[in-house]
Amino acid sequence: MIGIQRKIWTLTALIMFIMASIWIMLTYYNQKTQDQYNDILQRYLHMNEVTASSRQTVNSLNIYLLTPTEGNLSSLKRNEQLLREARSSVALLRNEENDFALTSYMNLIDSLLEATDRSVMFQSERENEDSSKAFAEATRISRYISEMTLQLIDIELNTYERFYRSIIEQAEELKKLGIWILLSITFGLLLFAYWFSLSITRPVEQLTKAAQELAKGKFERQIVVNSSDEIYFLATTFERMRVSINNLIVEMQEKARLESELQKSRLLLQESQLRSLQSQINPHFLFNILDTLSKKSFLEGAEETSDLLVSVAGLLRYNLKRLDRAVTLHDEVRVMRQYMEIQSARFTDRLRLVTEIDERCLSVQMPGLTLQPIVENAVIHAIEPSESGGTITVAITDEGDRVAVEIADDGPGMDEDKIRGILEEREMQPEGHSTGIGFGNVVRRLRLFYGVTDVIDVENRPGGGVRVVLKLPKTRRSDTYDKTADRG
Amino acid sequence: MHKTISLALGSICAIFLFFTMISAIRFMQSAWQPPQTQEESDERYRLVLITQDLGTPFWNKVGEGAEEEAERLDVNLEVWGTYGEDREDFLKQLEIAIDSGVDGIIVQGMDEDAFDNLTKVKAAFYGIPVITVASDVPMSESMRKTYVGSDALAAGKMIANRLIADMGEEGVVVIMGDDREEYDQRRRLEGIRSVLDDYPGIRVEYTVTSDEGEEIAAATQEVMNLSPDVSAFVSVDANLTAAMVREIGRRSQLKPYHIYSFDDHPDILPLLRQGKLDAVVEQSPSEMGEIGVRMMVRWLDGDTVPLDAEGYPTDIRLLTTEDAQ
Repeated sequence: MIGIQRKIWTLTALIMFIMASIWIMLTYYNQKTQDQYNDILQRYLHMNEVTASSRQTVNSLNIYLLTPTEGNLSSLKRNEQLLREARSSVALLRNEENDFALTSYMNLIDSLLEATDRSVMFQSERENEDSSKAFAEATRISRYISEMTLQLIDIELNTYERFYRSIIEQAEELKKLGIWILLSITFGLLLFAYWFSLSITRPVEQLTKAAQELAKGKFERQIVVNSSDEIYFLATTFERMRVSINNLIVEMQEKARLESELQKSRLLLQESQLRSLQSQINPHFLFNILDTLSKKSFLEGAEETSDLLVSVAGLLRYNLKRLDRAVTLHDEVRVMRQYMEIQSARFTDRLRLVTEIDERCLSVQMPGLTLQPIVENAVIHAIEPSESGGTITVAITDEGDRVAVEIADDGPGMDEDKIRGILEEREMQPEGHSTGIGFGNVVRRLRLFYGVTDVIDVENRPGGGVRVVLKLPKTRRSDTYDKTADRG
Repeated sequence: MHKTISLALGSICAIFLFFTMISAIRFMQSAWQPPQTQEESDERYRLVLITQDLGTPFWNKVGEGAEEEAERLDVNLEVWGTYGEDREDFLKQLEIAIDSGVDGIIVQGMDEDAFDNLTKVKAAFYGIPVITVASDVPMSESMRKTYVGSDALAAGKMIANRLIADMGEEGVVVIMGDDREEYDQRRRLEGIRSVLDDYPGIRVEYTVTSDEGEEIAAATQEVMNLSPDVSAFVSVDANLTAAMVREIGRRSQLKPYHIYSFDDHPDILPLLRQGKLDAVVEQSPSEMGEIGVRMMVRWLDGDTVPLDAEGYPTDIRLLTTEDAQ
């Protein structure tokens, strides 16, 4: 992870480095130029020194010749010494160009010293004429030295001309180079700073956008930040937060859904309790009458009527007791048969019942009074309106983890609207003379009981008639139905 | 947006970097190292060629020949000299050469006491060998090691023979010379006389003048007035020739006169080409320089000791107008 701090450090270090290297370069160049100038000046000064000290020597020789005292002699010796020193320093100025002239120059200095010594010697030997001749020679040589100095300086200028020009040229070039370096560094740094700032602000921008999305309530979109610094860290943390918020919301929604389902089933329960209360107005009175009627019919020899009455009483009892209990498919099939017996008495041979029942499936658990209302619905819709009656087919088959219960009729079928209404559990106006429990109620209870929605399917058959298929899971998802029922 | 800005900044930066590189290269290249200083002086011989007439074609050739030879023999030679025969400066340069302790001096001879003094006393005192070139000074007077140049006597004879061939064995011949009467002028004259003396029909008028234009003109007029039947002129000093020819031309036609001279002056060749001179003695200046240096080096190396005191004559040729065309 490259931190923002490290990025800033890098930028600063880079700038410092560039500045330092330019500074060092300039200082080095200045120093070099300074040294060169010093060298050049030194050369001229050395040459000038020779001229000056040769004049001094001749001058002090003159003084000595006029007044030959010890003091003047020592001053002459001192000047000679100075001249010798100047000579040795001039010896260092030799190069290819001035070699000849410089050798001549140094020999001239030697000649001057020699002439001076000669003059002093003759003076001490009282040979005045020779002494002044030697002095005249020394004077001449001193003049030659001056001229030779000029000549040497001339040679010097010629030799070094290119060098001097190159120094001037280089100074010019340096000025230009400075401007170019300044420009390129300016733009280079601008570019670098731009990239650098972008590398900080771009992730921040992305993060800001993501935060805005979150603020709008869109928790689904993933937060992606192309960065590897602190912002990335922030972004990943933010992303984790988003995910957990999202999970929490989903959980909350789930809970709310469960809550509403619970509410619905409570209402349903109250309704059914109300109904059962209504129908329990005086059940013992009703059962006693039905028993009495049955016994009387049996005694009067109307055995068929007696059986019918027993069926009615059984159905009634089942109806009152089993509404809020889980029952087996076996019980349901039994009640359905009793109901069909009663209806057979009414419709005689107009009603035909065909059953194909797989006995192994009858132990499956299901809510009470579900099969009977569906069959009743088929009777009301398919058999009642028809002159010739119809056939109701009930088939129970094993489909692996589910048991399929198919109730089909060959009536005129149902409106698509109505089918949709049934599947959407809408409350309908009870029609005809049903036992009181509507189709919608059955659907709702089935779904609540199993906790799945695709438990029932209603459709119009192609050749006419309605087919209702119940797909009952062999194992229930939860026991919520029972529990809520217990609580109610 | 970002890309555009990056691209623009990047390209600007690249352009500036390019120019910076160019500038840096130019900066590096403009650095010129000063000439290396030497610790030791050159071990080679240091020779000086000193002349009075620097810049004339004759002496330029002497200088060139000497320098070529110096290069070949690997000695250090410098050509010093004065322009337009500045005698004082010439002597000063000779003294400087001696005082600055050169290994050898090749010098145009000058028949003067000061010159002799310098070569005989001072140069000998410092042990510096002197070789005269082109113009000689007798060895007894100058203590020169040798002379390299034309044999003035032979040149004089050559002119004289030519003169007789052109003019015949009778006539008046005017010989014009510088009043300094230097050694080689005397030798030339000697050479001419030695030939002409054999012809009794030839009368020789010898006249001297200083080297100033008006003086020369006056002297020419005078000699022509004194000897109106003059038929030939010989200028034994090339410096006088141009003024003399001009003066003769002013008085009369040049054609009838036979005029002769020597080539050691820049005016001579143009005059010869114009036909104003009948013939000149052409010398070999470049050979003089060459042999002068060679002899000096031989002496210094001790190969040829002593050098031939009589000198080493260089080629002389007679050049007529036709040859010069």
